[in-house]
Amino acid sequence: MLVFDQLKKQDSQLRLVAMVLAAGFCVLLAGLWYVQVFSSKRFADSLEDQAVRSVRIPAVRGKVLDRNGQPLAENRPTYNVELYLAELGKHFHAEYLRIRPASVRTRAEREQLEWSARYNVVSNITAQVSDWLQQPQVIDQKKFQRHYNEVRALPISILQNLNASQVARFAERPGVFPGLDLEIQPLRVYPHGSLAAHVLGSLTRDESSQEEEDAFYHYRLPDWKGVTGMEGVFDGQLRGAAGTKSMTVNRLGYRQQETMLRAPEPGDNLVLTLDFKLQRAVEAALVSSMFGAQTRGAAVVMDVQTGDVLAMASAPTFEPIEFMGRISTEHWTNVLNHPIQKPMLNRAAQENYHPGSILKMLTALAALEMEKLDPMEIFNVEADPERPGKGCIYVGNRKIKDTVANGPYNFKKALMHSSNSYFIYHGLKPGVLQKIIMLGEKFHLGERTGILPRQETAGEFPDQTDLVRRWQPGDTANLCIGQGKVSVSPLQIAVMTSAIANGGKVFWPRLVLRLEPSDPQFGEKVSEFPPRVRDDLGVKPENLRLIHEAMLAEVEEAGGTGSGAIIKGLKIGGKTGTAEIEQGGKIVDKTTWFASFAPVDRPKWAVIVMVESGASGGKTCAPIAKLIYEALQKRERDAGQKNSALASLN
Amino acid sequence: MLARPSISEKPARFDWVLLCALLGLMVLGVLFIHSARYATESGAGVLWFKQLHFRQAVFYALGLGAAAAVCVVPYQTLARWSYVFYWASILLLVLVLIPHIGKAAYGARRWIDLGIFQLQPSEIAKIAFILALGNFLARPLDELKLTGNFWKALAMLGLPFALILVEPDLGSALVLIPTGFVMMYVAGIPAKYLRRFLSGSALIVALILVDVLFAPPGWQLKLQDYQRRRLLVYFGLDHKYFAPPNATAAELQKARIQERNDSYNVEQALISVGSGGLTGKGWRQGTQNVLGYLPRAVAHNDFIFSVLAEESGFVGSVVVLSLYAVVLFAGIRIAGQARDRLGKMMAAGVVALLFSHMFINIGMNIRLMPVTGVPLPLLSYGGTSVICTLVAAGLLQNIYLHRRSY
Repeated sequence: MLVFDQLKKQDSQLRLVAMVLAAGFCVLLAGLWYVQVFSSKRFADSLEDQAVRSVRIPAVRGKVLDRNGQPLAENRPTYNVELYLAELGKHFHAEYLRIRPASVRTRAEREQLEWSARYNVVSNITAQVSDWLQQPQVIDQKKFQRHYNEVRALPISILQNLNASQVARFAERPGVFPGLDLEIQPLRVYPHGSLAAHVLGSLTRDESSQEEEDAFYHYRLPDWKGVTGMEGVFDGQLRGAAGTKSMTVNRLGYRQQETMLRAPEPGDNLVLTLDFKLQRAVEAALVSSMFGAQTRGAAVVMDVQTGDVLAMASAPTFEPIEFMGRISTEHWTNVLNHPIQKPMLNRAAQENYHPGSILKMLTALAALEMEKLDPMEIFNVEADPERPGKGCIYVGNRKIKDTVANGPYNFKKALMHSSNSYFIYHGLKPGVLQKIIMLGEKFHLGERTGILPRQETAGEFPDQTDLVRRWQPGDTANLCIGQGKVSVSPLQIAVMTSAIANGGKVFWPRLVLRLEPSDPQFGEKVSEFPPRVRDDLGVKPENLRLIHEAMLAEVEEAGGTGSGAIIKGLKIGGKTGTAEIEQGGKIVDKTTWFASFAPVDRPKWAVIVMVESGASGGKTCAPIAKLIYEALQKRERDAGQKNSALASLN
Repeated sequence: MLARPSISEKPARFDWVLLCALLGLMVLGVLFIHSARYATESGAGVLWFKQLHFRQAVFYALGLGAAAAVCVVPYQTLARWSYVFYWASILLLVLVLIPHIGKAAYGARRWIDLGIFQLQPSEIAKIAFILALGNFLARPLDELKLTGNFWKALAMLGLPFALILVEPDLGSALVLIPTGFVMMYVAGIPAKYLRRFLSGSALIVALILVDVLFAPPGWQLKLQDYQRRRLLVYFGLDHKYFAPPNATAAELQKARIQERNDSYNVEQALISVGSGGLTGKGWRQGTQNVLGYLPRAVAHNDFIFSVLAEESGFVGSVVVLSLYAVVLFAGIRIAGQARDRLGKMMAAGVVALLFSHMFINIGMNIRLMPVTGVPLPLLSYGGTSVICTLVAAGLLQNIYLHRRSY
């Protein structure tokens, strides 16, 4: 190189420096050649990808249906008028020229003018369209600016939720307004309002990606995620798979063209075990109590042969649709999060109560199984010296009051009048407590049923370890009458009553029949959820029959506590309960129960009613159960008619 | 390297080749800063005299003026004042570290805000360092063999190095090492000292890297997190190894996303350079920069080469490299023709400094080097950098002008 010639021969240091420099240049040159010439195509390809924006399109959410295909949650198309900003460039510019004063001095001024020009154009169009469609609408300036800055390639929604005549009016004048288009978006609706709200649950807006989905979208269309209830449990299946649309954008970020890369796959339909009409009747029955709309309670109707939940109601209730919008703080604190009413709480599964006398079914079964109870044997209830005409029993030196009169009681009479003394006396016999605990385990009291994973509490039931730790006869006495260390949900009692009714099969309660593809032509497999037996009691049928008879007597015979539920032509076996909630030795509140099944000779249904702060199980809950049984009878008649109609058609 | 050595008795008054190459780089600088800022400025209606390419042209003019001023006084006279410059620059480096005086941006204190202009003391310190070290090493060769002098030279390097490192500005600090080394080598410091210096600085660099990447948080150099992550990216280290040991799945996921974001700049610079191809997309036609994939905050300074390479292709890159080559080899020739060892060392120092900047900056655009905020001389936007580069070039001219003034 020329430089080298010019360097003095003896100047070896500078020669070396020059050589290092030359080497450095060669390295850079080689690197640049490698990047810019050799692998240029690869980089050009990745560049091309970058002018493309991906848009996430949520799939249509699957419906939730009742067992007969009646929709409980579905989607309604909403028609929205959307404005494509890309087509307004000329208008923006014209407006800018129109409003521009003689001289624009600063950058800020010019920017401000440009914003006003854009906003003027958009709000003018909005005004014209909303006038034409007779739906007043003003576009918010801040919202428009944000949209323009962040998602310019996407259309901005101007009018939402058009009705049929507005859609028709809009269609009459195509192309009059620049850049406008009618878009259809599915919206979740609950056609029956608050019906089965606790089972269905609610949705919330969602901006995240699901599993196996590209997490990096440039834009997202609004999507929803199920949080509670069935919408939450089966969110993945109901949601389907989101699709992707790719948009090529030009230098200014406007949309140039659009291609659908992957169409969204609609979610599956969820078929529940609920019966829509029955559910409606049950909810109506529940609020027919003396508290009316203020009723705090729950009711469960279960098919005793399969464990199907035919209806599950909790009062007070809420409107799932409310959660899709904005909930005001006031509404939240005064209504939705009310400390006593707690409408969000699913009282059928999420809350636990002392069962009270309805647990005597279990005590009786245990005593009968251990052969410590002879149904014919007479037990004399002692008179309570303080309350003339009422009985009591002494356990150790503690007196436990009885609600029944003193005198002789056999098993049937004791159960139908719900004598505490009788069942405590038999429960204290050796071995019976062990059997109660064992049966409690078989009924899976104190365990979750798994029906609504995050909205269920296990409750409480003593186990073997409790017995070794400071267990007193008084505790046994409490347990025998469903007080003390035992709490249950109405759903657990439904499972227990069903098992007693069906001869000993303890089911996993079933709420979902199947998941089926939203459109049969997709040909996906239907996933069925067959009934599942969780446990078998292994008790003697004649013992169960004795209990059935006594429960029937409680409803049908004179003096029975459950007589409020009596229906001609339907043999109902029931057990009332009134559990006392003590605080500091005083009774502060009561939980009233009615656990029942029918028909006694061929059990089909278990009906459990629970009302907080009721008068008593017989007075408050039994009449509600009666209404439910009437609905069940009607349901059966309707089904019979349908069958005979079908038969006659054939 | 184009000019034949002048045969005439009358020495050339001026190295025109050097000046032409510098002017060529300045023209490219204005053009591509305009291109890099086009989307931001024209769209927003920034007035022409506030646009950065115009400001850069003003800096060029100021720099050329400063360079001319440097040429007036013989470099020997400048060298006599070199310790004053040196200590003044050290003072500035200390001042910039003091809050309220030094302006913090992107987590580092590198600028002193003078209102119309932001002074970057580290750039000044580089020039002052060359002058001072040149002056120190200009003593007779026998004295250079003394161990004490070697250590003094090292200390002259170590002081600004440490001060710049704590700003923190890793790139600018590291640039001092090759500059100092080349000057000592050219000065004729015995090889054993140089070997020590080389292994010592290799050790320091290695220690800094190990410290930044692997040391527990309490022991680390106070690099900003983003600087540390840039190094992680360069060394291809997976972020997840650097997550806390008991990190949850969510934290690991976050680390992965972070890694993706961190490698973003480098990826995008590489895409820009690569998609330029042989001839580029044409001036102001680069989409990477217009669409904002090259982050707008760095496109006109640290990553100006990406803009240039995308729009002018391999051809443009070669032109830029050639212009630098002309400047640097002219510098070496000047060093070779210098009248005394002082001039030779100063010229060599300037060459080493400019070369290090150029190599690190272009290298980081094509992923040869980790991302450190080292400007590309004359092309990157930045007043102090431009003026100091031109002053350095003025120093070369000075040495050339006075090569025969016996």
